[in-house]
Amino acid sequence: MTVLGETALWTALPIALWGTAVSFAGGRTGRSELVLSGERTAYAVTFLLLLASVGIVAAFVGGRYEYWYVANYSNRELDTYFKVAGLWAGQRGSLVFWTLLLSAFASIAVFQNRARNREFMPYAAGVLLAILSFLLVVLLFAGVNPFERLDFTPANGRGLNPQLQNYWMTIHPPTLYLGFTAFAVPFAFAVSALLANRLDSRWIAVARRWILLSWFFLTLGIVFGMRWAYEELGWGGYWFWDPVENASLLPWLTATAFLHSIQIQENRGMLKVWNMGLVAATFLLTIFATFLTRSGLIESVHSFAENLKIAYIFLGFMGATAAFCAVLIVHRLPSLGSESRIQSFLSRESAFLFNNLLLVGIAFAVMWGTLYPLITEGVFGQKINVGPPYYNRVNLPIGLILLALMGIGPVIAWRRASRRNLRKNFLLPCAAAAAVLAVLWLTGVRHGTALATFVVSAFVMTTVATEFWKGTRARARIAGEGHLRALRGLVRRNRRRWGGYVVHAGVVILFTGVAGSAFDVAQVHEMAPGETAAIRSAFGHEYRLTYESLSHSRPRASDDVPENDWRWTALLTVRKDGEHVAAMRPERRYYPVMEESSTEVGIRSSLLEDLYVIPREVDFDSGTERASFEFKVLPLVPWIWFGGVVVAFGTLVGLWPAAGAHSGVRAPGGRRRAPQSAPSGAAGRAA
Amino acid sequence: MRNGRFFVGLVGVGAVVAYLMWTGISESMVYYLTPSELLARIEADPAFRQVGVKVGGRVVEGSWDRPAGAGSVHEFAVADLENPETVFSVRYEDVLPDTFNDRAEVVLEGSFGADGVFRAHTVLTKCGSRYEAAKEELAA
Repeated sequence: MTVLGETALWTALPIALWGTAVSFAGGRTGRSELVLSGERTAYAVTFLLLLASVGIVAAFVGGRYEYWYVANYSNRELDTYFKVAGLWAGQRGSLVFWTLLLSAFASIAVFQNRARNREFMPYAAGVLLAILSFLLVVLLFAGVNPFERLDFTPANGRGLNPQLQNYWMTIHPPTLYLGFTAFAVPFAFAVSALLANRLDSRWIAVARRWILLSWFFLTLGIVFGMRWAYEELGWGGYWFWDPVENASLLPWLTATAFLHSIQIQENRGMLKVWNMGLVAATFLLTIFATFLTRSGLIESVHSFAENLKIAYIFLGFMGATAAFCAVLIVHRLPSLGSESRIQSFLSRESAFLFNNLLLVGIAFAVMWGTLYPLITEGVFGQKINVGPPYYNRVNLPIGLILLALMGIGPVIAWRRASRRNLRKNFLLPCAAAAAVLAVLWLTGVRHGTALATFVVSAFVMTTVATEFWKGTRARARIAGEGHLRALRGLVRRNRRRWGGYVVHAGVVILFTGVAGSAFDVAQVHEMAPGETAAIRSAFGHEYRLTYESLSHSRPRASDDVPENDWRWTALLTVRKDGEHVAAMRPERRYYPVMEESSTEVGIRSSLLEDLYVIPREVDFDSGTERASFEFKVLPLVPWIWFGGVVVAFGTLVGLWPAAGAHSGVRAPGGRRRAPQSAPSGAAGRAA
Repeated sequence: MRNGRFFVGLVGVGAVVAYLMWTGISESMVYYLTPSELLARIEADPAFRQVGVKVGGRVVEGSWDRPAGAGSVHEFAVADLENPETVFSVRYEDVLPDTFNDRAEVVLEGSFGADGVFRAHTVLTKCGSRYEAAKEELAA
């Protein structure tokens, strides 16, 4: 199976190269047999990469330690569950996995559009196959072949990093990869529109679902990563502005900007060059994210080992792609002119534009901070780092304005907002914001940023709720339906708009949760069994934690093979305001093979706050079993995860096939029509 | 002037972002040095002792014992990655990261005390390279 996988990987490269060539040739000459051959190539490459991936997984499950990659990322003691995840645990496998996902998306895109959008398809397929060819070249020739064999067979592998032995390991990386790879499809459509000189908003209509799909996975992947880092001690909490975290945030920021700016192009025919720039930038940033985690050029807690060869190859690819896109855009500049212009500062166009500039501004600042050590080393010969204060300084004020724009953008009128439009839509939200400010101030909240976040959040939530309420009421009245049915009908008629509102609500909830960190409480206690410590949360709840007992397992000296791990677990009982609420078992494990430990923190969530217990150390020598713990109460953290769920739900609402898709036009042989005929002005009807 | 407003917005946002970045950098910038660079700097200018820095190196094997007690004061030595004979001692009074051991590649943040011992307030371990073993290591 593994040999077959290796053969498949080698076979995939010439096929992908062939496909690239015939697709572009087919696009230029219009010869259908070339186009068809190119499309079939995409399916073939996907199949071969699937074989290669199965080969790697088979090597992991079968314990084939003669393979370097398998020997480095697993051992006999590892659960099968994590052996399968070995496919993306290390650099080599995850590159294969990445390529597999990209080829699968390419195949789906080709299959969906094979009978329509003929003018785009050969070029789009060509672009996707070119990217695949590049990744295959990296896999085969850059010293990262996952099928590399050692010249001997080790008795056992080195095992998987204990920090990666976590169920998030099986969920977070694939989700993020799905988001990264899915964005190659809209990029391919953009390039094909440029090549075919079809620069109206057709390509956006074709690519829109893919953009949203990519955004969905990116968001989910980032939130999963936050949750993982939150549970894992030593990764600095849910967000640490670590380079690798930043790398995943960058394409998300530009993709978010793009999702908004295409609405301006669809509705007003403006920003065509800007959109082309954004789609290219986002695609490059997804590659940059791979590059940053794989090259080891930037110090990060999460990065793979340093590999300069890969760094240069990726840099070359990114440079070539950027240059290619720039030349193509400049070449097509005459067809990329605006069809209209901004008439007033108080309009939806300008709100969206402002949103775009701010998102790109944040992306630039984050990128600058991430690369700052490299920049200063290049310019001054001296690495200088910037830390979280830098990111907070830049992103807090801009983030707050963006948050406010989420309330303004969707309800302000296109073109020019009238005084009446402003009063009608913003009176109530402003009043709600003022009320929240008054209540928080009176209850003694003085933290500036947190206060601002809560007030702006109230403003946005009120606009979203009012929009839903107005729409539902109007529909209920006209159609004579019940309110719940009216709401369903309303959302069905314009999933994109109402899904977008739900996403906004989710983002607001998420940011409210983040702002809660201003009121974190933390204490360190050294306790003997039976002792109790008390900690009071920002919401005024009192937690009393009793250290009941300790259990531990030390390895037996007689064992030939050292135990996979040994551990100590403390049992703590928790009373909240005098009432018993939980028993917690924070634990530390020690892995003798790796000479490393891992810590399982205790987390007890309630609606408003998390109790977070970190086991620190235990005194085994004196026999007293005194232990030290750090207790934290983190307000509103559960809202971050809830907000993430709401965002995901809203995106799904937007992604769901539009109403009427099933009864609608069927392309010959196609299963579903493209969403291109959705009324482009729909988002503007609220005004 | 078709795109006039667009450019005004662009320049305005750009200026604000640049201002925030500038002040942000000057507030939070930290030198990132190798042990050799750090010690050379201090030799040239003893006042550099108190400057907070980030320094990356490798923990000297055998310089740290996994503590048995409940207290969490750690003392170990860190060597330059390229010149292993350049060594300085470190004191850290908190819980070490899970991946810490006495061969780990670490990044410390802190400054030197008057006694010539580096007081780290943050210890980060770089785990990446440790997981890709050399062939000889696997054979053992």
